[in-house]
Amino acid sequence: MQKLKGILGYTWAALLIPLVVATLFGMGDWMELLVSSTGLTVSPWFSGDVVARTVAHAGYETRIHRPVFRALIGERREGFVQVDWGPLEALPAQVDEEVDFDGDGQADFRVVLDTASGRATLTPLTEYALGLAGAYRLDDAWAVRAALKNPRR
Amino acid sequence: MTAQTETKPRKPGLGILKSLLLMLPISLLSFLFLTGGPPGGDPLRFIAGIVTWLALNTLFFLMLYTGKTYRYRLVLFVALALTLIITFAASILSTRGSLALTEADILQGKTPFCHLVIPTIIIPALFTRTIIFPGSLLTGFAPIASMLVIWAGATLALGRGWCSWLCFYGGLDEGCSRILKKPVIKSIDRRWTYLPWAVLLGVALLSAATLSPAYCEWLCPFKAVTEAAAITSTLILIQTVIFVTLFVGLVVVLPILTRRRTQCALFCPLGPLQSLANKINVFDVRIDPEKCSRCKLCMRSCPTLSLDEASLESGRTLMTCTKCGQCVDACPRKAISFHIKGTKVGIGANVARVLFLYPTFIFFSAFGGGIIASAILNVLKLVTTGRMY
Repeated sequence: MQKLKGILGYTWAALLIPLVVATLFGMGDWMELLVSSTGLTVSPWFSGDVVARTVAHAGYETRIHRPVFRALIGERREGFVQVDWGPLEALPAQVDEEVDFDGDGQADFRVVLDTASGRATLTPLTEYALGLAGAYRLDDAWAVRAALKNPRR
Repeated sequence: MTAQTETKPRKPGLGILKSLLLMLPISLLSFLFLTGGPPGGDPLRFIAGIVTWLALNTLFFLMLYTGKTYRYRLVLFVALALTLIITFAASILSTRGSLALTEADILQGKTPFCHLVIPTIIIPALFTRTIIFPGSLLTGFAPIASMLVIWAGATLALGRGWCSWLCFYGGLDEGCSRILKKPVIKSIDRRWTYLPWAVLLGVALLSAATLSPAYCEWLCPFKAVTEAAAITSTLILIQTVIFVTLFVGLVVVLPILTRRRTQCALFCPLGPLQSLANKINVFDVRIDPEKCSRCKLCMRSCPTLSLDEASLESGRTLMTCTKCGQCVDACPRKAISFHIKGTKVGIGANVARVLFLYPTFIFFSAFGGGIIASAILNVLKLVTTGRMY
């Protein structure tokens, strides 16, 4: 038994060498496999989640992301929705737009954004819009996050 | 009258020829990893790769030839930690334009991912299938998936050996712990070794509850030397003060005073996870109780407090052992050795050590070597063009 355990130990130790080489040489493939097989994504609390709807304007577009309420289990009472305007060079000096974040046909808040300074104001139009969470200059867009009350809770 | 039998300590190193032969596969692999093959594109990159390759292989040869592990590993480990700071700064400056992390960077996933975040992302990943970190999964500098693959592979191969061979932060407190010849604070209450488990539990639960990486946001000492949020509020100022205080205390002052890796042994939340991985890892460090004279030199020299009186009796290190080789080198009777589980203690110790060093060095060549080579490249670029990137 001791001999068998010894053989197994040496075998396992020796097998680690090709395993390590395979890990390093196949790095790109392993990364892809990890992401595709698990379906992992970056938390929407950081990424702002995927774009749900796009509104085209003259030369630029408004991208309304999916609202973020996700909790560890279920949903939180409050969250946010991210709205982007881009590309930067096509934006007017001031963006003034009413946003319907849940697609129910009724605008939920109005954003006025000075695209030179990034100063933004947000006016709630429904009970679900709570206020401005932040305005951010991205690589090729301005983004605003509006704090929301979860309509489902 | 009792006759005292003196066991002759085994010869630790290998001969020149054996060492050179065993070095050959590592040399070839590391050449591929570090230079990308024969010289072609960027000559500076090739030079940086060659310099790193020479340094790595020289140290690997010395490890084999002398039979000493710790002193050569220490050089590599400290070099890795110091060069990481250069590589990190240059990469961040080239991708973001500033070392300060802004909210826009967070929204765009431009934060490099590091292994210390791993304990905080596991529970949310299981429940929500999302990574609670503002990085990129597959692209950019230090994407999340690359770090997870490297960590998983290395953890499987080395267990907590990760903490002494591949962690690119550990060299900072280990380097500081070597500054004084003798410790000013000679003993640390062993109860402190439970603190990393408490930190792990705390940050894991807090991160799960808030869906944000609590350790990065509040406790990571290495934010002080890598990146931190631009100070735009009192909250961020408080967080920055915490980072700097923890860095100075745990990574600089306490290691100097105690000659121990205090951040790694007493605080890091990844340490306990790696300790658990030690349980399934095939390599460990064992003590031959028959050879051991109970001089306790190993206990006094262990950087991570992974040996106690019970270890000397049982012949086993604690599960926190990082396989750094310090006790193996320090033991005057050569009673401590690298070991493969399932085999007899002390038999084939050189084989076990070489089998441990091989995957370790292959990983180090590609991962750590890449970081060192990048830093050398950054310095070469700075000297020749005036820009680091």
